[in-house]
Amino acid sequence: MIPNYIDSLLKEARKYLGVKFDTIYLGGGTASLLNNNVPRLMNCLKINFDLASILEATIEANPDSITVNFLNMAISSGFNRISIGVQSFNDYELENVGRIHSSTQAINAIKHAKKAGFKKISADLILGLPGQTIESLKRSIEVLICLDVNHISTYCLSIEEGTLLSKNIPTNLPTEEDQVKLYEYAQEMMYNNNLIQYEISNFAKPGYECLHNINYWHGGEYIGLGPAAASHLNGKRFKNKDDLFAYLTDPTGQIDEDEQLDLKRKAAEEIILRLRLLKEGANIKMLEERFGYRNIKEIFTRIDKLVSINSLTFDGVSYRLPKNKVLVSNPILTDILGD
Amino acid sequence: MSNIRNFCIVAHIDHGKSTLADRILEITDVVHTTGNEQILDGMDLERERGITIKASPVRIPYRSKEGKDYILNLIDTPGHVDFNYEVSRSLKACEGALLLVDATQGVEAQTIANAYLAIDGDLELIPVINKIDLPNARIDDCKLQIEDMIGIPADDALLVSAKDGSGVSELLEATIKRIPPPKGFDDEPLSCLIFDSQYDSYRGVIPHIRVFSGTIKPGDKILFKSNQKIFQVEEVGYFGLRLTRCEKLAAGDVGYLAAIIRDVQDVNVGDTIISPNFPDTIAISGFRRSQPMVFCGIYPVNTNDYEKLKFALEKFVLGDSSIVFEKENSAALGHGFRAGFLGMLHMDITLERLKREYEQEIIATMPTVIYKVLTTAGKEMIIDNPSKFPTINEIDSIEEPIVKARVITPNDSVGPVMELSMAKRGKMLAMEYPDERRTSISFEFPLAEIITDYYDRLKSVTRGYASMDYDLVGYKNADLVKVDILVNGDPVDALSFISERQSTVPKSKSLVHKLLKLIPRQQFKIPLQAAIGGKIIAREDITPYRKDVLAKCYGGDITRKRKLLEKQKEGKKRMKIVGSVEIPQEAFLSLLKVEEELD
Repeated sequence: MIPNYIDSLLKEARKYLGVKFDTIYLGGGTASLLNNNVPRLMNCLKINFDLASILEATIEANPDSITVNFLNMAISSGFNRISIGVQSFNDYELENVGRIHSSTQAINAIKHAKKAGFKKISADLILGLPGQTIESLKRSIEVLICLDVNHISTYCLSIEEGTLLSKNIPTNLPTEEDQVKLYEYAQEMMYNNNLIQYEISNFAKPGYECLHNINYWHGGEYIGLGPAAASHLNGKRFKNKDDLFAYLTDPTGQIDEDEQLDLKRKAAEEIILRLRLLKEGANIKMLEERFGYRNIKEIFTRIDKLVSINSLTFDGVSYRLPKNKVLVSNPILTDILGD
Repeated sequence: MSNIRNFCIVAHIDHGKSTLADRILEITDVVHTTGNEQILDGMDLERERGITIKASPVRIPYRSKEGKDYILNLIDTPGHVDFNYEVSRSLKACEGALLLVDATQGVEAQTIANAYLAIDGDLELIPVINKIDLPNARIDDCKLQIEDMIGIPADDALLVSAKDGSGVSELLEATIKRIPPPKGFDDEPLSCLIFDSQYDSYRGVIPHIRVFSGTIKPGDKILFKSNQKIFQVEEVGYFGLRLTRCEKLAAGDVGYLAAIIRDVQDVNVGDTIISPNFPDTIAISGFRRSQPMVFCGIYPVNTNDYEKLKFALEKFVLGDSSIVFEKENSAALGHGFRAGFLGMLHMDITLERLKREYEQEIIATMPTVIYKVLTTAGKEMIIDNPSKFPTINEIDSIEEPIVKARVITPNDSVGPVMELSMAKRGKMLAMEYPDERRTSISFEFPLAEIITDYYDRLKSVTRGYASMDYDLVGYKNADLVKVDILVNGDPVDALSFISERQSTVPKSKSLVHKLLKLIPRQQFKIPLQAAIGGKIIAREDITPYRKDVLAKCYGGDITRKRKLLEKQKEGKKRMKIVGSVEIPQEAFLSLLKVEEELD
């Protein structure tokens, strides 16, 4: 099955022959399950595309499936960044949300990744896990800092409808207020350890930001391969159908939704994305050049109003979302959208 | 003219009026149907709710058993307590009425009320007992009740089944024999009553008329008695299933006229049309014009749609002149209208029709009655809007409208009915026993207590068996206070309400609690307060939300997340921004639900 899947990926990739890339990201699901298909995939890509100038190639993996063998294979295939789904270093918390790995496995995974040669290592943490306290969160972050992990993504636990957890909501789930405290605590602790919050959910030591993701937040273009994968190419956003079997039979004929926004909506979308980059923000000159001042005048009017009520900041060069507004950013971002 | 019979059917709701009308139309070959569709109930809403809202006339050619040709003008009427007005104006166009009683239910409150309207209008009343095909039909009981409760002989009551058609041809024969032909002469000066009207975008306002004397034909000049406006008749006709053009209408006829009347205000139901050659012709009198009893504010959701709403309302009242409306401004809701209705059902249906048929996006505020306030300066004020209430120290006394209601209920529900009525400040006046199964109770109520949900709740505590009717009897002193609702410290005029002093605190607490759930959390804390004068009597705080963020937004999420934000934006647009707080439309009607929960 997996070999077939790799064949399909390559078939789909050939649709885009000639396109140049800066970054690669192998993830969305558990890439570590691909095992020795990883080298095959990368070799085939190398044959079809010029990957010599690739700046960053990330592979995603879960602690329970990370082996020394897998890590070595990933490095020799050309990956230079690994993103590990740690979630927490508290076994009780992990168990509570049905994760199959232990904190020991997570620690070992990070150690082995370093040993295998990964310079850029990222770990995911979840805030608001059932039973989580400031204390336990502090310990999880401490472990990451001790292991010298240079990139951390934090997400608040969201209980999606239809999942096992939603049918049996744990009683010790932190309240919204608790989640806010956890988040603010994490924000501060990362800051004190030189992990800069460069995006709403992402912290990194300077120079270790995820280039691949930054491209998304710049409104940049990208190609997604596989079922349900999204792409942004030639100004158009489109997405494959979420059907593995259909994909296996016809990997190039799966485009489901596709949309081309008019200039104003495109501009608003890009500004909303760029504002996620807390440090960089949305540069006014760059926006004017890209979209034309006259076309986005009304958007600026709305943005300036948000600046006047301190929902955004402006330093004469760029608009930014202030740190203390991150958790309530949706209503601010909706105000940027036109009617 | 001796071959014309103008009559209507009056009955309690659900006693089978529309079905009987259908059967009559079939037997006389006006329509051919097989289903149980109610032909005269033209509106979707009427079919959905199984009620007749608007009276519609139809002309039926009929050949009697003796071979003589007649013209029967049948006017279908609504049966709900709110629509007495429609009934009374239909009655005015008739010489007779069929009083329809459901043989399984017996005489109900609305049967009595409608029968009295007909008797007051000097109509020949023919009792008709319907649904005789049902096994639980109690014909003799019905006859007794008609004699005891209404006071008319019922020996010769007609027995019919509108469903299977039995007795209907006998009923038609009785109609021509027992209902007198119209009086009046063609060679007398013109005198017509406007008993209804409709709007046609090509022909303008079309009055529905009953000619009492004289004739009217295209080319004639006519004069409206009330406003002295003169028009030239373009077309006259009668009511087939559609408007059917004819050469002229003569004394005794029921029909319509078109005269390129553009302005809705020119046509007043109840007005008399005469000939400008005989300007002294006296107006037709005695047709009961009921007063609107329930008022509410109607505002466009989008402030810019004020003019559109105005036009829709103007068109609407053409078909229902019992509605009154005037311009009103609300600090919270902007420009809108205060509209008066005959009752709650009438209000509900009107709002629903404005939304559906006229495609208006509207916010309606809490319904209220008319209060009379005597100020300390000795001035009497008529208040139909809580926000216009004078301040406490300006008020000397307040009077509220009082109604006398008759409730007929099965004996085993008397307890719950009494309990419900007492909770609504009802005072029992009398108790009677129309038959061995049922009790008829007369109450006095403050109108304000029964306009909102009394009727619905009465139906529910009696499993649908109770019936009621009420009449305004006057005004009485009452200990009432105005409660202001403050959102984030700002009074929201559209949320204030008048309440009897005793129940003010529980009502306010419940309302504030309801608002707490309806108003979405915002970025700052929002105190919700209820106050009398400056005194706060209830308070709850909407805690600010702390988290509303799209945490994950990577390549595959961008479109979906943008759509999510766009949806949030749409939701925001549907809210009314009062001060700095966004209030959803439902909040303005939340007091209705409060009443339900409290009693």
